[in-house]
Amino acid sequence: MIHVPLLEVKNLRTTFSTELGQVTAVDGVSFQVDSGETVGLVGESGCGKSVTSLSILRLFRKHSGTRLTGEIFFEQKELLQSSMEELQEIRGNRISMIFQDPMSSLNPVYTVGNQIAESLMLHQKLSKKAAQEKTIEMLTLVGIPSPDKRVNDYPHQLSGGMRQRVMIAMGLCCQPKLLIADEPTTALDVTIQAQILDLMLDLQKQLQMGILLITHDLGVVAEVCDRVLVMYLGQIVEEASVETLFENPKHPYTIGLMKSIPTIDGKRGKKLHVIEGIVPSLHQIPKGCRFAPRCPLADEKCRQHPPDLFEIARLHQVRCWHHERIGVGGVAFGG
Amino acid sequence: MGGYLLKRVVSLLPVLLVVAVVDFIIIHLTPGDPASVILGAQATEEELAKLREQLGLNLPIYIRFFEWIGGLLQGDLGWSIFMDKPVTEAIWEHLGPTLSLTIMAEIIAILFAIPLGVMAANRRGTWMDQTFMTFALLGISLPSFWIGLNLILLFAVQLNWLPAAGYQPISNGLLNHFKYLIMPAISLGIMQGALIARMTRSSMLEVLNENYIRTAEAKGLKMWLVTYKHALRNAFIPILTVIGLSFATLIGGAVVTETVFNIPGIGKLIVNSVLRRDYEVIQGTVLMIAAAYVLINLIVDLLYAYIDPRVRYDKS
Amino acid sequence: METSSVTIATSQPVAPSRHHVRVAMNRFFANRLAVSGSILVLFITLICVLAPLLTSYDPLEMKVQDRLKPPSTSHWFGTDEFGRDVFTRVVYGSRISMGVGFSVVVITSIVGLLFGLYSAYYRRLDNFLMRINDGLMAFPAILLAIAILAALGPKMSNVIIALSVVYIPTVARAIRSVAITVREQTYIEAIHALGGKSWRVIWLHIAPNCLSPLIVQATFIFAYAVITEASLSFLGAGTPPPEPSWGNILNDGRTIMKQAWWMTVFPGLSIMITVLGLNLLGDGLRDLLDPHTNRAKK
Repeated sequence: MIHVPLLEVKNLRTTFSTELGQVTAVDGVSFQVDSGETVGLVGESGCGKSVTSLSILRLFRKHSGTRLTGEIFFEQKELLQSSMEELQEIRGNRISMIFQDPMSSLNPVYTVGNQIAESLMLHQKLSKKAAQEKTIEMLTLVGIPSPDKRVNDYPHQLSGGMRQRVMIAMGLCCQPKLLIADEPTTALDVTIQAQILDLMLDLQKQLQMGILLITHDLGVVAEVCDRVLVMYLGQIVEEASVETLFENPKHPYTIGLMKSIPTIDGKRGKKLHVIEGIVPSLHQIPKGCRFAPRCPLADEKCRQHPPDLFEIARLHQVRCWHHERIGVGGVAFGG
Repeated sequence: MGGYLLKRVVSLLPVLLVVAVVDFIIIHLTPGDPASVILGAQATEEELAKLREQLGLNLPIYIRFFEWIGGLLQGDLGWSIFMDKPVTEAIWEHLGPTLSLTIMAEIIAILFAIPLGVMAANRRGTWMDQTFMTFALLGISLPSFWIGLNLILLFAVQLNWLPAAGYQPISNGLLNHFKYLIMPAISLGIMQGALIARMTRSSMLEVLNENYIRTAEAKGLKMWLVTYKHALRNAFIPILTVIGLSFATLIGGAVVTETVFNIPGIGKLIVNSVLRRDYEVIQGTVLMIAAAYVLINLIVDLLYAYIDPRVRYDKS
Repeated sequence: METSSVTIATSQPVAPSRHHVRVAMNRFFANRLAVSGSILVLFITLICVLAPLLTSYDPLEMKVQDRLKPPSTSHWFGTDEFGRDVFTRVVYGSRISMGVGFSVVVITSIVGLLFGLYSAYYRRLDNFLMRINDGLMAFPAILLAIAILAALGPKMSNVIIALSVVYIPTVARAIRSVAITVREQTYIEAIHALGGKSWRVIWLHIAPNCLSPLIVQATFIFAYAVITEASLSFLGAGTPPPEPSWGNILNDGRTIMKQAWWMTVFPGLSIMITVLGLNLLGDGLRDLLDPHTNRAKK
């Protein structure tokens, strides 16, 4: 039997039309997520990771001039060609999303209970009363104290951590097969971050879901992910298992990201590493390798010719002409 | 909630006081002797003296002000010299048509404006959006009385479908009532509708960009639920503000519309009183309308609290 | 004082280089609303300036033999019941509308800016001024104007006074809300901390930031003023006859609407073109000048 992934994205391209012309925010991205697996999608802000996640459920406004091409298979169903009705059947039900900012992602004028129950009534066809009960159950599950009271609270009455738990309860109430979590812990402080991540992993085990975790925090990735995709300027530049990536990163950009993580044992006087330059605008994508203007290894070839994604080992791909010059642990870096 | 209500009500008192002072000052701006203005050039000195006495013009202005305020607090808005009856009675007699007219106009405006504004926002940039918004722009650029005149030219003079002017109270049959009010209500409602539609669209556009709308869509909700349950309620506060403010514009517009269609309402009363120089009627009616406006906006404030829980629980 | 000069420099508008002017011009001409609005406003302004050149008739001259003539080559918009040329009266009427509108805009802008700025800056004054503002705004514009005109008498100058009183609160409130957000910004606090004088802060730092909203607001006030003046004249409370204004031509035509439709249609169209132009311009300027709506567009 051939292995069929839960989610398979093939050559996804997402373009927007803006005042300054067409912009390709996601350019030829392909990856898979399996059941029970956690895949991290990392990169700086503006690299296209959020757009990638929104593209999976086509969460763009109609008439916004967004164009999606490529293929996205979820449980063997192609999502980009599906009708809106089919998609709405999947959204919040088979695939759930948790968004970055729990403050602005909950509707301020409805109680949190109402917002969770809404999903349950829609997808599980529960009665109002049953949905209310299930909502309280979900709130208990995500660790909200006195859930029977909080269910009638409005978002502004809850703390940031509590709101994010509500978002998770909302995302998981219909027991989705795939959870897309877009920076679920960024807005929270560190202790709460850890609690929320633990909670997500716990629930993942119970429900056997696949998780696509979008983050810019490599610390989080190291803690919870099985596999990692590194994105830069709309493209995947490196894909590897989490162990491989941290032990043997092959893309100069990945190495740069690793070096910029502050470590506890690092010497105090040591300056934190910073990747030179800034992410270029999507309107001015470099001609050759997209990272070349900021890359210490870049040469004429890099500046002229865009590199392909090279498969350098099983399940390890890298988009760099010079990947062979980079040794284990990125030692030869800078040579 | 109770605290919020109390605070709102208390904050209205100084506004009402200002309204009364402004109203009093305006009427006492009249240059020269109001008695001779009212009675005209051929009045005898005796008649003038009698009227001055009657109007209390020989008293110092501050005493007149306090007497007037004292009267107001007892529900005395003044005396109509021309009609020879209390201003309150005159207002009461003219209230029905104006209420009917403004309510009908507001209903027409809201009924069309909100769905059209929502549709335009949902279809931003399409031909539908552009057509609606062009009409809305035309709507705020046309004086309501001119729309009224054109409606008369078309439906009364040319087609002879509707009566050109006049008024029938509800007691003479609802259908008859509507037949006389439909043209005035449309001409008055168009500008309101246009204003509300524009506000609905821009407020919806802002809300549709909010993250919680994306959350609602990510839940798999149907488009109409996302629009009407999640977006519209959030977009409604600025819309409600416009509706509240529109009451002032409506009453103002009613003054002109009632003149065009010869409807015996408050507006007609004011215009006639201006022509008759019946100052106390102008003063009393204008005051009453301003006070009504203040109260309507109190209701709007309470509706804010109903729509948005953050207002309800807010400390300020 | 090093820091203060840096902070202050950022708060002031950058001297427009030629490049900036060109970018601003390009953005203006790319904005369809602003361009079509200014064309209409320019058109009406030209008519109002060139009025005597556009017609050979006198707006007040009565010719009994020419009573109620329908539009023709000699009388483009027909004649009224006194045999006056309606085209001429409409053309001259633009002077009343634009004159009143412009005067009201100038007065309300200056007074509204003063009130708005000072009430945003001095909280105690704010309480007082804003109560008065609320009180004045409780009166429907036309009613307040009617009451003032009833007291002062129907005259063009009184119309201007009445409409200014009516619209000053609107401008004051808009300016105040912008000024308050500017006042709360850190650099204003920094200037205070460095001993900046209040009047300097108000006029050199807060006022320039209020200019864009003031311009947008003024354009819409112009539009309201034109409509309200026409309404007042239509009711007989505004510009008194025989002086031609769009409102009183419509009033003259009202009783003879069945015989002389042209007296209703043409002055009304003139009001529409003027107000539409101003509203288009206002919408366009708001898109261009107000960053808030620009963000919502994305």
